[in-house]
Amino acid sequence: MPSIPSRLARLAPALALVVIAAWGTCRAVGAGAGVPGDGAWAAASQRLRAELGPGELIVVAPAWVEPTAYLHVGDLITVDAAGRLDAARYPAIWELSIRGARAPETRGLTADRAFTIGGVTARRYPQAARAVVTDFAPQVATAAVGGARTGGPTYVLAEVGFAPHRCAQVTPAPDGEVTLTFADVALGTELAVGVGLADVFTRRDVRAPGELAVAIDGFEAARWRFGVDDGWVRRTIATRPGRGTVTFTARAVGLKATGRLICFAAEARS
Amino acid sequence: MTGRWRVRAIGLALFVVTLATAVGAQRDVGVARDEVVYMGAGDGYARWWIDVVHGKAGATSAKGITAAWGGPGATDHNREHPPFMKTLFGLSHKLLHDGLGVSHVTAYRAPSALMHAFLILIVFAWAVAAWGLAEAVIAALLTLALPRALFHAGLACFDGPIATLWVATLYCYWRSVGPRRGRWTWWWAIVAGVVWGLALATKHNALLLPFAIAPHFAWVVARQAYATTAPGPVRGLRALGRGLRARWYVPVALIALGPLTLIAVWPWLWFDTVAHIRAWLQFHLHHVHYNFEYLGDNWNHPPFPWHVAVVTTLLTVPAGTLAAAAIGVLARARGWWRTRGELADGAALLLGLSLAASMGPFFLGSTPIFGAEKHWEAAIPTVCLAAGVGAAWAARAAVAALGEAWALARHRHAPIVAIAVVGGALVAGAAAETAHAHPYALTSYNGLAGGAPGGADLGMNRQFWGYAARGVLPFLRTQAPPAGAPPRPVYTHDATPAWGVYARDRLLAPGLPDAGHEDAGVARSQLAIVIHERHFRRHDFMIWQSYGTVQPVFVLRFDGVPIVSVYRRPTPR
Repeated sequence: MPSIPSRLARLAPALALVVIAAWGTCRAVGAGAGVPGDGAWAAASQRLRAELGPGELIVVAPAWVEPTAYLHVGDLITVDAAGRLDAARYPAIWELSIRGARAPETRGLTADRAFTIGGVTARRYPQAARAVVTDFAPQVATAAVGGARTGGPTYVLAEVGFAPHRCAQVTPAPDGEVTLTFADVALGTELAVGVGLADVFTRRDVRAPGELAVAIDGFEAARWRFGVDDGWVRRTIATRPGRGTVTFTARAVGLKATGRLICFAAEARS
Repeated sequence: MTGRWRVRAIGLALFVVTLATAVGAQRDVGVARDEVVYMGAGDGYARWWIDVVHGKAGATSAKGITAAWGGPGATDHNREHPPFMKTLFGLSHKLLHDGLGVSHVTAYRAPSALMHAFLILIVFAWAVAAWGLAEAVIAALLTLALPRALFHAGLACFDGPIATLWVATLYCYWRSVGPRRGRWTWWWAIVAGVVWGLALATKHNALLLPFAIAPHFAWVVARQAYATTAPGPVRGLRALGRGLRARWYVPVALIALGPLTLIAVWPWLWFDTVAHIRAWLQFHLHHVHYNFEYLGDNWNHPPFPWHVAVVTTLLTVPAGTLAAAAIGVLARARGWWRTRGELADGAALLLGLSLAASMGPFFLGSTPIFGAEKHWEAAIPTVCLAAGVGAAWAARAAVAALGEAWALARHRHAPIVAIAVVGGALVAGAAAETAHAHPYALTSYNGLAGGAPGGADLGMNRQFWGYAARGVLPFLRTQAPPAGAPPRPVYTHDATPAWGVYARDRLLAPGLPDAGHEDAGVARSQLAIVIHERHFRRHDFMIWQSYGTVQPVFVLRFDGVPIVSVYRRPTPR
């Protein structure tokens, strides 16, 4: 008679199939139970409203649950906040998360408050807010514009890297440059710049990169290139506080760079 | 009831159950973007055939054909897709809706459901012939209990039907190369040629079938002739030559009848045939790359990851089915290795080649992948057939093991009980998953992924074709203007083609017209929907900018995963 291990080995596939079938079904069918429903979100929203301070930012993790979160706390999030350059100007970041996810904005920060209601976790991350002395993109209409272009500059809420960004959007002619000069603006200790290529369809159809150069009082301080897969690229340039002239030069790289929607935001911060 | 009649009765029952399930399930599924195009084209094709039958003058002239089937533009009358299923959609609409009063959408979709019933029947018939009744019943039911395949089975599109015709071609071909030659193998070869032609006339995937059939044919005929081929140099090649001479009618039937059938059902090919075929194929060789999300990234440009087909299949087919298929493959491989014997007349080999041919292009990294599993749906019956084999093998092995220590397990009905337990667990699990996924199967993922939320965590595609918009129609009804009040236009983006269908079928309340496209449509709208796919986030942002708020007023979710949001302009203008 075959040994017990041999018999068990022949039993194992059938047992395994029954167990896997049951496990797989429970995991797939019951998965929704692991996602907080409207009740939990409503309760978390109510508590958040009681604790949210003025000017504090709300972010959501994972990104896919954002519509649900916005259904409940969207009135606390302005379009400008949703389309921010980055989170540096906010004194605190409230992270609403489910399933243990973390928002990239809170990386490296330490929470000082937290609560969890029905699977929705809210954590408050205080930080030293940077004061914005000049926000360039909303003032794009006042900039002196030069160079060949096929569109813009306009102040828009654009999709860059599948995220919303308030930005000055300009479309240089292929292999052309467009300069936007902001004269006599207040500068702080740093100039934060975010830039990327807007619109998923032109990113698909036109693969050429874009380029942005920043000059302060005529001296080029930075220049970088960003491609179709780079999303929203952020850079910080150290500046001397005072007043100065800042020129942004957007370039569509290459003769094939048609319809290259270059979208940038910049904040002079102290 | 004799064994043969019992098999036929079971097959018939499976056919009827599948047809009823597919027809019943589709009633809850929203209208997919492409369906609207195929319905319209199908109406035109059906009308043309009816005109021809009635002898309408000029219908078969180049001008008459062009007016219904083609035109100068690459997509005129949807000439970029072959017409077989579209013609059936149109004829079905005339018969079931115009004649019998069935709803518009169900009438168009009925041929796809019928095709799915044939798929289940063929899977059953093939498995019965190759492996046995238990394997066949389990394989057929597991094929029926595939969340995404059942979804596609209920659409007036080509992905379900091409899977049926693909498998049907292989089955007929397999019968034509059976070990006994004679009248029936001729008959099956002829049917295989015609069915392949219908597959070609359904979707261009069918062009890949020779990659499965040709190597299998060479293997099978060489193997059949090998034993009677004299030993000596290049015996294998000589056996192949003898085998080809013996079965010459099989490739001839496929090569001749396939294209002839394609041309016969596609009047657009009745003139300028080469140019029209070239245009059809070139459209797909240069097809635009749509956006799809896969493992956290949005893909719309090659090179694509080579593993999309494998990973997507592993995350969408029920876990039990996958496990049973793995056991089935191992069991067959073990049996073959031990005996160096037949692969059930090459059925396993043919199904393996079918899977490879169906999925193969997606390993190249350059083939457009915008509908994920639907593109290689023809490969999935292979998985289910392997699962049927694996489940039955595992159950029998368990009974044999138990029988050595337990008298009851030696009862003659013990194997049936064991197969019922193992197969029943697999089928019940897969069926529960399929029922749960309905009607948002494109958002569903299996237990390995962690269900729909797990799929979202992994960054897998949320959905496509905009069909989920139907789920917000009840909410939009609450937002409809009262009678006599001005309409409230709705920005519908990917659901725009379906909007008229919803209105016609009274699923959409009056006073909610489509607002139009892009920024102008958003600006005109009072309500807006966003169907959540990663590349559709831009629609959210357009609406936020126009409405001045990021807050939706309703979010349709499947297992907590957002699939459609509705926005309302804060201050009605």
